[in-house]
Amino acid sequence: MAAVAHPRPAGRKPELEINQTHADVTRDVVATLSQPSTGYLMLLACAVAMFVAGLLTFLILVKDGLGHAGYTPPVFWSVYITTFVFWIGIGHAGTLISAILFLFRSPWRTAVYRSTEAMTVFAVMTAALFPIIHIGRQWIFYWLLPYPNQRWLWPNFKSPLLWDVFAISTYFTVSATFLVVGLVPDVAAVRDKVTGWRRAVYTFAAVGWQGTDNQWRHYSRAYLYLAALATPLVLSVHSVVSWDFASSIVPAWHGTIFAPYFVAGAIYSGLGMVITLLIPLRKALKLEHMITDYHFDNLAKLTLLTGSILFYSYSMEYFIAWYSGSLFEQTTFWRRPFGSMWWAGWTMIICNAFVSQLLWFRKIRVNLAALFVISIFINLGMWFERFVIIASSLTNDYIPWAWANPNITWADWGILLGSFGWFSMWFLLFARSFPIVAIQEIKEMIPMPRRRAGGHH
Amino acid sequence: MPDADRPAGMDRRKFLTVLGATSGGALALSGCSTSRVEKLVPYLVQSEDQIPGIPTWYASTCTECEAGCGVHVRTREGRAVKLEGNPEHPVNQGKLCSRGQAALQGLYNPGRVKTPLARKPDGSFGPITWDDAIARLAGKLAPAGGKVAVLSGAGPGSFSDFLAEWTAALGGKLVRWTPFDHEPVRAANRQVFGLDQLPAHDFANAKYILSFGADFLESWLSPTENQRGFAEAHGFSDGDVAKFVYVGARRDLTGLNADEWLSVKPGTEAALALAVANVVAGGNPPAGLGSALAQFTPAFAAQETGVPAAVIERVAREFAAAKPGLAVAGGIGAQHAGATELCAAVNLLNYVAGNVGQTVRFGADLPAGDGYAGMARLEAAMDAGEVGVLLVHEANPVYALPRASGFAARLAKVPYKVAVGLFLDETAAACDLVLPAHHALERWDDLAPRTGVRSLMQPVMEPVFDSHAPGDILLLVAKKAGGLLGKFTDASWEARLRSRWQALAAERNASDAGEFWRGALQRGGLFDPAPEPTQVSLTEGASEVTYTRPAFDGNAALVFLAYPHPMLHDGRGTNKPWLLENADPVTKITWHSWVELAPETARRMNVENGEILRLTSPHGTIEAPAYVYPGLRPDVVAMPLGFGHTAYGAFAQGRGVNALDLLGAPKGEYVAYASTRVAAEKTGAWKKLATVEGVPRQLGRGIAEAMPVAAAKQKLSLEEYHLEAHEPEHEFNPPLEVQALKGWSESQQRMATKGDYTRDLPKWGMAIDLARCTGCQACVTACYAENNIPTIGEQEILKGREMTWMRIERYWEDAETPDQPPSARFIPMLCQHCANAPCEPVCPVYAAYHTADGLNGQVYNRCVGTRYCANNCPYKVRYFNWYKYNDLAWPEPLNLQLNPDVTVRARGVMEKCTFCIQRIRATQNQARVESRGIRDGEFTTACAQACPSDAIVFGNMMDPESRVAAIKQDPRGYHVLEEINTRPAITYLAKVLHPVEA
Repeated sequence: MAAVAHPRPAGRKPELEINQTHADVTRDVVATLSQPSTGYLMLLACAVAMFVAGLLTFLILVKDGLGHAGYTPPVFWSVYITTFVFWIGIGHAGTLISAILFLFRSPWRTAVYRSTEAMTVFAVMTAALFPIIHIGRQWIFYWLLPYPNQRWLWPNFKSPLLWDVFAISTYFTVSATFLVVGLVPDVAAVRDKVTGWRRAVYTFAAVGWQGTDNQWRHYSRAYLYLAALATPLVLSVHSVVSWDFASSIVPAWHGTIFAPYFVAGAIYSGLGMVITLLIPLRKALKLEHMITDYHFDNLAKLTLLTGSILFYSYSMEYFIAWYSGSLFEQTTFWRRPFGSMWWAGWTMIICNAFVSQLLWFRKIRVNLAALFVISIFINLGMWFERFVIIASSLTNDYIPWAWANPNITWADWGILLGSFGWFSMWFLLFARSFPIVAIQEIKEMIPMPRRRAGGHH
Repeated sequence: MPDADRPAGMDRRKFLTVLGATSGGALALSGCSTSRVEKLVPYLVQSEDQIPGIPTWYASTCTECEAGCGVHVRTREGRAVKLEGNPEHPVNQGKLCSRGQAALQGLYNPGRVKTPLARKPDGSFGPITWDDAIARLAGKLAPAGGKVAVLSGAGPGSFSDFLAEWTAALGGKLVRWTPFDHEPVRAANRQVFGLDQLPAHDFANAKYILSFGADFLESWLSPTENQRGFAEAHGFSDGDVAKFVYVGARRDLTGLNADEWLSVKPGTEAALALAVANVVAGGNPPAGLGSALAQFTPAFAAQETGVPAAVIERVAREFAAAKPGLAVAGGIGAQHAGATELCAAVNLLNYVAGNVGQTVRFGADLPAGDGYAGMARLEAAMDAGEVGVLLVHEANPVYALPRASGFAARLAKVPYKVAVGLFLDETAAACDLVLPAHHALERWDDLAPRTGVRSLMQPVMEPVFDSHAPGDILLLVAKKAGGLLGKFTDASWEARLRSRWQALAAERNASDAGEFWRGALQRGGLFDPAPEPTQVSLTEGASEVTYTRPAFDGNAALVFLAYPHPMLHDGRGTNKPWLLENADPVTKITWHSWVELAPETARRMNVENGEILRLTSPHGTIEAPAYVYPGLRPDVVAMPLGFGHTAYGAFAQGRGVNALDLLGAPKGEYVAYASTRVAAEKTGAWKKLATVEGVPRQLGRGIAEAMPVAAAKQKLSLEEYHLEAHEPEHEFNPPLEVQALKGWSESQQRMATKGDYTRDLPKWGMAIDLARCTGCQACVTACYAENNIPTIGEQEILKGREMTWMRIERYWEDAETPDQPPSARFIPMLCQHCANAPCEPVCPVYAAYHTADGLNGQVYNRCVGTRYCANNCPYKVRYFNWYKYNDLAWPEPLNLQLNPDVTVRARGVMEKCTFCIQRIRATQNQARVESRGIRDGEFTTACAQACPSDAIVFGNMMDPESRVAAIKQDPRGYHVLEEINTRPAITYLAKVLHPVEA
C-alpha cells in the first residue's frame, strides 16, 4: 500500500467506508471487463450507427458544401459551434472532479473520477472534430496550425480561433495523459487477473507496473503534478473558448463576464453529463456499493453551486445590458426571451437557472430517478444555452436589415447525432476495456487490512 | 532519346499544352469543358485590336427598352463581359440601368434559339439548316400575295425603315409594337397641343415635380435619363432640393422617392391635376381654354380623389410658385381607362404653369411604335383572314397582351407564322418557323431614339450561336424569293447600313464618308445638339379636356393594379438571373410574383405575408402570395407584370403568374392596366416569400440618416442638427453618454491611428449621397456583372444567402401621426473597408487583412471558411459560398460573361466587396507604365460608374484635390455605426427632407 504523500483524508466519512476486502474490489471491477452482454452490444451498435450517420453527413458536407446545414446569414455559426462548445463544456467536469477535487482532498471523488476522466477525454475528442467539420474547406483545416511551410505563412495569433486550437490541443494532451497515468496501477491489477491474449495486452498497457514502493512514490508524485497541471486548464480552456465570443463585437458576445460564466456553465454541463452517464452505468456494471447515494448527493451539490452561478450570470447579463445603455445589447437581450427565438431562450433559462434550483432539496438529490431527469434537463439546457448565445445573438446584431433566423436541417441533426455516437462509442468501448472505477483508490477507502489473506498487496 | 522511343506519356511540350489549356480554360473559358480546346494555336499575326489581358471597348446601343441609351461594351479576348453607359451619348450620359446591363445575360442566355427551327408534323420543333429555313420562308411569301403581315418590336432606325420597305414591297402590313408604347401620352399631346410627339422632359431644372402615376424612374419613357435629371433636381448638389409630390394609388419606386404622397382613389388623378391647374391658372386661364377648368375646384377634386382640398390647394400654390415645375403622367401603373384624359389634364397643368417649353420640350420627338391601335389593326386583319404569312420580329404579343384579347387563338389561325428573334418565347413557340436573330451586340444596326440622335450598334464579338442579323435574314429571303423582293440586292445588311450612312455623310457634307462613319462608330453614333423646343400652343381640343369618373371592369371590392416590374419590365427581363435575383427595389422580393395589399386591407382580411391569395376578375383567376405593403391604398391590390411565362427559357418558365390574365381584352387605343376590379380571397395555402428584406426599421440606430432642407442649407452637420433639434445624436443615447462615448471613441481613434500607413500611399474611399440615391439597384447589377457574383436561385434566397456584395436597404420611417403612411429611406450597404476592421483580427489564417492602401483585403485562396469575419462584421456585408455556386450560377454559355480579371470563388470561402480592386490595380499598372500618378476620376468602381443618380463617388482620400475628399468634407457626411469605432472608408451624406406638411 502506498505510504508516501498520497492524500489520505483524515476524517473519513463513514459513508465512504467500503465494507469489502481488496480482493473483492479487484474481483468486482475486473468482472466489469468480462464477456459483454447483449444489451451492451446493442448500445454499442447504436452508438456506431449514430456515428456512421454523422460521418455520412460530414462526407456530404465535404462533397457539396456547408449549404445543407441550416445556416441563414447573419447566423454564420449555428448548430455545429453550439455542439462544439457543448462538448468542450462536458469535458470540464471530468477534470474538475479528478484534478481539482484531488488537490482539495475530497475523497468522494474516488469512485467516480475514472469515468469522468474518460468522459473528459472523449468529450474533448468529440469537440476537436468540430473546428474541422464546421469550416468551409475542411480539407485544409491544418492551415490553422503553425506548421513550417514553404509559403512562409503563419497563422494569425490575434485570432481567438487560433487560441482555441491551442487550448483544445493542450487540454486533450493533458487530460489524456492524466487518464493514462491514472490507469497504470489498475491495468496492472487487471493484468494479474486475466489470462491468454488479454493478459498480453494488459501487460503491455501496464508498462511494467509492479507496485513497488519506489513505483508508488513516483506514481503519486506524477499524479499530483499532473493534477496541478490540469487544474488551471479547467479554468483556462473554457475561458479561451469563451473568448471566441467575448473578443468579438457582436452584442451579447462582447462581455467581460464571459470567461467565468462559461467555466461555470461548462462544469455545470459536465456534472449533468456525469450524472446522466453514472446512473445507468453503475446499474449496468453492478457497482452500487462503490458509487453510492453519497456520491450523487455531492455531485448534485456541485451542480447546484454551478447552476446558481449560471443563474447569477444570466441575471448579470440582463443587468449589464440595461445598465450599459447600449441599445444593441438591450435589443439582443430583449429579443432573447421575447424575439423570434424565444423558445430557445426560455429552454435555456428554465433548464439551467430554474431546474438546478430543485437540488436544494436533499430528497431530490438522492432520488436517482429525479436526478437522472434533472441531468437530462441540464444537458438539454446547456446545449440550448450555447445555441442561444451563439445563434440567437447573431440573429439580431447591428443592422436590422440583415436580421434573419437560422433553420435546423437534417445536416445539423446528422452531425449532432454523429457527435453523440462518436462520444458514446468511445465511452462504451472504454468501459469494457479498462476499469471504469479506480481500483487502487477504492482500495484506499477500505480500512487497512490487518494480516488477512487475499489483499492485492 | 529519340521521340519515337519515348513512352506515350507526358513530354515537355504536351505538358505545356495541357497547362495552357487548363489555365486558359480556367480563366477565359472558365466553365467550358476543356475537351473543347483541341489545339492551342498562337496568333501567327497578332490581331490588331486584341491584346490578351487588355480589354477592348466598343460603342453600341442598348435595346432593352425603347429609350435607346448608348453603351460601351467591354470585351476581353473576344467576348463581351460588361456593359457600361456611353458618356458621350445624349440620352444616358454614361449611365446604365439594371435592365441595360443585364443585356449580357440575354446575349449569353442558355435559352436562346441556337439554330433555325421548323415545326415537324408531330408538332414539335426540329433544327433545320439556314438554307432550308430561308427557302421555306421565301417559298411562302410569293404565294401569300399581299397577305403578309410583319409585327416588329424594333425601335426606329435603319432596320425599321428597311423592314417597312421590305414589307411594302410585298404589299404587306407592318405593325411596330411594344407593350409599353405610352399611347395615352401621345394621344393627349395630339389632343391638347396638336403634336403627335413625345416631348423630352427636363427633370434636372425642375424646382417642383408632380407625378401623376408616372413611374419615371422605372419604365416611363427614358428612365435612366429621367433618373439623372431627377437626382440633379432632388439631390442637394446646388444648395436646394426640388420638392417631389407623387399622386397615385400605389407608391412605386418613383413614388417612394417622393417627399409627399397624395394617395388618390384609383383612376381619379385627372381630377386632381385639373384642380391644381385651376388653382395655378387663378382667375385667368390662358386664351383658348375658356372656362374649361372652372368646374374643377379643389373641393371637387377632394371629393373625387379623397385628398383634402387644403392639401390640393397647397400643392397647387407650391407648384405655381416653383418656376419651372414639371408635371408628368402616363405611367403604365396608372394606365387606366381615363389615362388619356389624365395625360391631357397634366398637359394643361404644365401649360398653365408655364412649363411647356421649359421643362417639357417638344421638338426632340421620342418616336414610339404604332401602339395598341396598330396591334388592333393587325388583329382585325387576322380575324378577316387577310394574313397568310405573319412575321413576328422581337415581339411577344402572346405573352404581353391580356389572355382575354385572344391573340393566341388568332395566331393559331394564321396559315404560316414565322418568328425572328433570340428566344423561344410564347409567340415563337406558337410559330411554324423560328429564325434565330443576332443579339444587339452581335450585329450592325442603328437606332434613332429621338430627333437628332442616331445611335450605332456594331458586332462586338463572334455570334454565340448560329444566328443571323434580322437585316441579313430579310436580304437572304429577298434573294431567294426574288420577284417583288428582287430589288433588295445589297450584299449584306452591313453593306446596306453602310450605304445609308454614306448617304447620311453626304447629307452632312462630310468630306470623307469613311472618316465620318468611323468617327460615329467610335463615339457610338451621331449626336446633334438638342433642338430648340418648338413653340407650342393650345389647340381646340384643349378646351375639351375633362375628367370622367372612373369606371371599372367588374364590380368586386378591390381595384387591381398591374404595374411594370422595375427589373423585368414588360416580361422580357424574366429570363435573366441577374434581374430575377436583384430584388424588386420596392418590395425586395426576388424570383416569384406576389400580390400587394395595404396593411389595412390585410388586417381586414386577416392576411399575413406569404399567405396565398386567389384574385378573381371577370376574366380570370390567379393565385399568388401576399405581401403587405404600406405604400398602397386600402381599396386596391397590386401585382407586378413580367412573371408567369409559359415559355421563354428555363429561368422564366413557370415562374410566378401573369397579372395580365386578370385583364379584359383591351378596348380603345391602349391596354388599360389599372381598370379592373378583383375579388381577393384566402386559399389557406402559404408560400415563404423569397425576400431579401430583414427587419425594415432602423430601430433608432441612425443607419440611413436624414435632415431637413433648412438644416442642410445652414450647412449644419448631422450632430449639430440633432443638437439643435434637441434630439440626442442617436436616439438611444442621452447627451451625457454621448459625451462620454465621444471621449472614449476619440482616445481609441488616436490609438488606432498609430497603425496608419504612410501618407505616400493612396487610401481608397467612397462617398454615397443619400439625397441622390433613389434605390434603383443599378449599382447592384453592375456589381454582379463586374465581380462574377453568382445568382443562387429562389431556394437559397429563402435561406437568406444572397451573394450581392452590395445591397440597397430600404427602411420604413414612421410618420409623426399613425394615420400617415411611413416613408422610405434607401441606403446602399457594402463593405465599408473599415480602417479599424472587426473582420481582420479574428481571421485565424490572415485571409482577411488590411492592404497598404487602406482596403480590407480578402484572400480567397487562403480562406478556410471559419466565417468568424462575417459574424464580427457589424455591417453584415460578407458573403459565404455555402455551395459550389461557381458550378451552379452560370449554366453554359452564361459563363462566357465572367470577368476574367476577377476570381470566380470556390465554395467554402468568404467573399465581399473589394472596391473593385481589379480596376484599382489595372489603373495603377497603367500609371506606372506611364510613370505618373493616378489622376482623380481616371477610373471608378463598377457601382459608381453605373449609378444613374451619380450618388456614389470613389477615389483616393489622401489626395486633397480628389472629388471624394471634397465630398467627405460635406457637413451632411456621417459614418454608419460610427460609435463602434470601425472608422469606415465610406462616408454617407444624409438625405435631405422637405418638412412634412400637415
